Amino acid sequence: MRQLFAPGADALFRLALLTAAACLAALPVVGAGLMRSSYVTGVGVAPAQPVPFSHKHHSGELAIDCRYCHTSVETQATAGIPPTHTCMTCHGQIWSGSDMLAPVRASYARDEPLHWTRLNKLPGYVYYNHAVHVQNGIGCSTCHGNVTEMQLTYRANAFEMSFCLDCHRNPEKYVRPKDEILTMTWSPPANQAEIGPELVRQYHIRGGERLTECAICHR
Amino acid sequence: MTGGHEIGDLRARLAAGDGPAFWRSLDAVADSPAFRAFLEAEYPAAARLAAAPDRRGFLRAMAASLAMSGLAACGQPDGRTEEVPYVRQPERIVPGTALSYASAALVDGFANGVLVTTRNGRPLKIEGNPAHPWSRGGTDVFAQASVLGLYDPFRLQAPHYLGRPSAWQAFRAAMTGRFAALRATDGGRGLHLVTGPVTSPSLAAQIAAMRRDFPAMRWHVAAPAGREALYEGAREAYGRPLETRWRLGEARTIVSLDGDLLDAGPGQVGQSRDWIEARRAAAAAGRLLSLHHAGPTPSLTGAKADAPLAVGSDALAQIARDLLAEAGGGTAEVRDGPVAAWRRRAFAALNGARGAGVVLAGAHAAPALLAQVHRLNAALGNTGRCVFHTAPVPAQEAEPLAALVEAMARGAARAVVMLDVNPVYDAPGDLGFTEALARVPLKIHAGLYRDETAAHCDWTLPLAHPLESWGDARALDGTVTLIQPTVAPLYDGRTVPEILSILTDAEARDGRGLLDAHWRRPGEDEAAARARLEEALRAGFLPGTALPEESVAAPAPAAARPAAGAPAPSSGPARRVEVLFRPDPTIWDGSLSDLAWLQELPKPLTKVVWGNVVAVSPRLAEREELEQGDVVTLEAGGRRLEGPVWILPGQADDAVTVTLGYGRRAPGLLADGLGYDAYGLRAAASPWRLADATLARTGRRQPPVTTQDHGTMEGHDLVRVRALGAPAAPSAPLPSLYPPAPASAEGRHGGERAWGMVIDLDACIGCNACVTACQSENNIPVVGREEVARGRWLHWLRIDRYYEGGLDQPATHFMPVPCMHCEQAPCEVGCPVEATLHDREGLNLMVYNRCVGTRACSSYCPYKVRRFNYLDYAGDMAPVQQQQRNPEVTVRARGVMEKCTYCVQRIAAARIDATKADHAPIPDGAVETACQGACPTRAITFGDLRDPASQVAAAAADPRNYALLGALNTRPRTTYLARLAAGGTGAGPEGEP
Repeated sequence: MRQLFAPGADALFRLALLTAAACLAALPVVGAGLMRSSYVTGVGVAPAQPVPFSHKHHSGELAIDCRYCHTSVETQATAGIPPTHTCMTCHGQIWSGSDMLAPVRASYARDEPLHWTRLNKLPGYVYYNHAVHVQNGIGCSTCHGNVTEMQLTYRANAFEMSFCLDCHRNPEKYVRPKDEILTMTWSPPANQAEIGPELVRQYHIRGGERLTECAICHR
Repeated sequence: MTGGHEIGDLRARLAAGDGPAFWRSLDAVADSPAFRAFLEAEYPAAARLAAAPDRRGFLRAMAASLAMSGLAACGQPDGRTEEVPYVRQPERIVPGTALSYASAALVDGFANGVLVTTRNGRPLKIEGNPAHPWSRGGTDVFAQASVLGLYDPFRLQAPHYLGRPSAWQAFRAAMTGRFAALRATDGGRGLHLVTGPVTSPSLAAQIAAMRRDFPAMRWHVAAPAGREALYEGAREAYGRPLETRWRLGEARTIVSLDGDLLDAGPGQVGQSRDWIEARRAAAAAGRLLSLHHAGPTPSLTGAKADAPLAVGSDALAQIARDLLAEAGGGTAEVRDGPVAAWRRRAFAALNGARGAGVVLAGAHAAPALLAQVHRLNAALGNTGRCVFHTAPVPAQEAEPLAALVEAMARGAARAVVMLDVNPVYDAPGDLGFTEALARVPLKIHAGLYRDETAAHCDWTLPLAHPLESWGDARALDGTVTLIQPTVAPLYDGRTVPEILSILTDAEARDGRGLLDAHWRRPGEDEAAARARLEEALRAGFLPGTALPEESVAAPAPAAARPAAGAPAPSSGPARRVEVLFRPDPTIWDGSLSDLAWLQELPKPLTKVVWGNVVAVSPRLAEREELEQGDVVTLEAGGRRLEGPVWILPGQADDAVTVTLGYGRRAPGLLADGLGYDAYGLRAAASPWRLADATLARTGRRQPPVTTQDHGTMEGHDLVRVRALGAPAAPSAPLPSLYPPAPASAEGRHGGERAWGMVIDLDACIGCNACVTACQSENNIPVVGREEVARGRWLHWLRIDRYYEGGLDQPATHFMPVPCMHCEQAPCEVGCPVEATLHDREGLNLMVYNRCVGTRACSSYCPYKVRRFNYLDYAGDMAPVQQQQRNPEVTVRARGVMEKCTYCVQRIAAARIDATKADHAPIPDGAVETACQGACPTRAITFGDLRDPASQVAAAAADPRNYALLGALNTRPRTTYLARLAAGGTGAGPEGEP
């Protein structure tokens, strides 16, 4: 009777076993890498939008104040996405014939809202309030990155829980003076270790212990 | 379950003082091994599942849950992939921010002032309107649940003609010719209009104009749970219909003869507020505003009575006669027995406070009794002082429904327009409405649903929900309350005035136009009138429109008493009983039966959900050997109904109570197939009582689902009753094996604030408004009848009902039980993943995304206030229903424990507001929990216990304050104020002055 297994069968079998073991070992690594990749988090990926709006142009080159469009950022939970009307305050006059702006004009004329692809999203059980952060020394760029450099807008941070907690544990490392809130290029100055705790005191920010309590963000 | 054969034993046990002092159910008194096992299982379904699965079953479950967890891991799109801003942002609307509108919630056409909280243009929550002179910030279950009705996917969404979808233009086109023809022939002879009770001045004026236009038109009011008896009683005494009101603040005693002072209905919110304010003021002055109540069936008024008495209707009429005789200096006919004892005490109280007493009877009492009460108040000098009268609030020009049936049966009715009524379902069974309706050539119906009447009509029109409507309505005190839309109509509905306008006006007008036109004063500038109305819309009502007091002459004396008939023979297998009809305390007359919140709301006294029961007295059950859940037949005049028995302590011996609103026959509605229909047994001439019916057993059983034993706590002194002015009990620390805990409230969680709640048991009337408000605020899903039966209900706040004393004449107590937010919380010890833990302000938090569903916390909780999501109850809700959800509160998924959070979202909002206002302290009263805000009697106080000036700190320092199960040393932040009694520490009839 003929042998069922060729002489190399054992080696092949061992190789297969080894490969399987290696795959198993690699799985968590690959998985973790995938979860952190921009494919999953969306960081750095600018999705297609109805209008290729450029923060770099408007907010960087033209230096339009953030609050011109995001009107409720200092007073409400949401910063506010500008209504079409806001776009048309300028674009009714300038670039009023541009093809790129045709969807904006159509929205205004037909009274149909623009549908922007959402960039920044927190899970449903997380409650974030813009006003309370902006009024207490957390600037726009801390979370949203330097939008004045973004030709097309993308998500700058993954907004995982650890991102929030870094700051809630040690607010003194991130707080800014009031007049720097809208500064997109702000980075902690050399003496942040000195002015940080002083600002935390001025802003009446409670210590890390209180700020990391679950009900601060989860309800 | 406990039945007739054991009732004698139970009565003996209670009488001998062998049973519990406070008890929830007959089963609890019986304390059988089966009941013990039920309690120990806590979650009966879990116990059953855990009962030794075999190896294969175990593996199958494991494999399934692994597969499921894989599915759950896949990210589901949650509908938040786009940002859709406005094209032109409306003024004052900021996305995500709450905006409140003043409006009105309606019960039977009567208004309660409310504020409607909207977010992103969607009405989400009803709050009371503190400025409204009648409701003064309170609400009832109907108002709280009305927001659910707006998003009901079962609502009628388009006009239908002969069952097929049609359009308003088609309706108008079809009607123009027919109404012109009707007008031409004899001024509309044969045209009949049917509405509910009309309190709206603008609608009344519109109907009056229509009657001028169609002089021969007849108008009928169908009010299945209306207040006709009150007006009939006034007619008998004073010759004209009158509304009776009370100045309880000046009263020294209240005697209720089948009164509904605190019961559900148009009066509940304002009357219960009057009552508690008067009672509190009296207690502050060192006296008790005693409430004596005698009635044939238990009610909320009876439950709050210091001296309750269960008597049949005949004995009640005798009490009224005897009281009247005594008030006139004569002598009573009945001298012995408990009834006479009760009457003597009541009379002593009334006689001692002539001119400052109140005798009242309710909307379901017999007109003859109501007339007697008028005479009694006049004889005691109360009329014009503590008791006063106004003109009736609803328009009185309409004819009853019986006249319509008569015209239809004769074939004289050529067109019937039925607006916001459902007479095919709720007309009394002896009228034969449905058969008569078939003879009418043109039948038009407008309603929120495709109900029983719609199925018999040619044209079926969708009504706009009050939250999408313009309109006005009077509160019970007459205050004209304005209704304004808080959202654009979800469907193609119109309001009643708009439909009338389509039928009669050359150019159909919209609701706002009709309202503007009505309230514009003659000669007033249009812009000025509009500005005035805008101002009133902001307040929610027209100030100074309460009806003025009417002076009345001496009431007509009672007609000679008819000779008492021979007592009905009680022979044969069927027993003769008196049948009482009552509106359902949660779904009212059935018009609210599609609201799942109200279906799952335990009825205040029986705690039954998703159905109605036939309430019988323990004595009747004993005699007839009836058990809880036995189906019985009630029969009178050839009409009958079948329903399950409920043995109700405090029910008069030979009285049987049935509730309206169930037994719906409209396919497709939520309520279809639930309960029995009591309308079929009803008689038009005597809508609230059938003196002589027979009761027979069918042999079948249909046990109702009740929550009365859910969440039973082990311990003693759960409910406390305290004599007015009794010295504070010395609070010696209990012996403990543990090291002493920090003494002060702020000791253990040294935050800036210490949130706490105090619930006043003396004020709680058990109305359930808080439970519904909590459900609305906190996205609590409905689980359904079967799931409630398994103990899987999800209400964060339950109201426990306790009886005290014997089976037949017990005192009744209500006790709302939310999470206690214990400072030393046992639940936190039980959790393996720290999903429940404290914050520094003392809140016992529940972190849903950490919870793995061990349910250990719940078994550690001595108060049984934790609820577990066994299934994905919130997951399969229709998209339109999801619109109602509060975006400030997480929607909990399956497998997660949840419980009262003290409305942490409202605390967070106040904290953020304070931070934004330059770190100002949170003022007392800035955080109002949903339950607190809804309460009509202000029984709940919430705030910062560390602030000595706060209301809650004052309530916590009240000598009546006590902690529920305080002996467990859990240091609950929620505490209670004991119920007040006159003398001694025992409640009930003994504690009388």
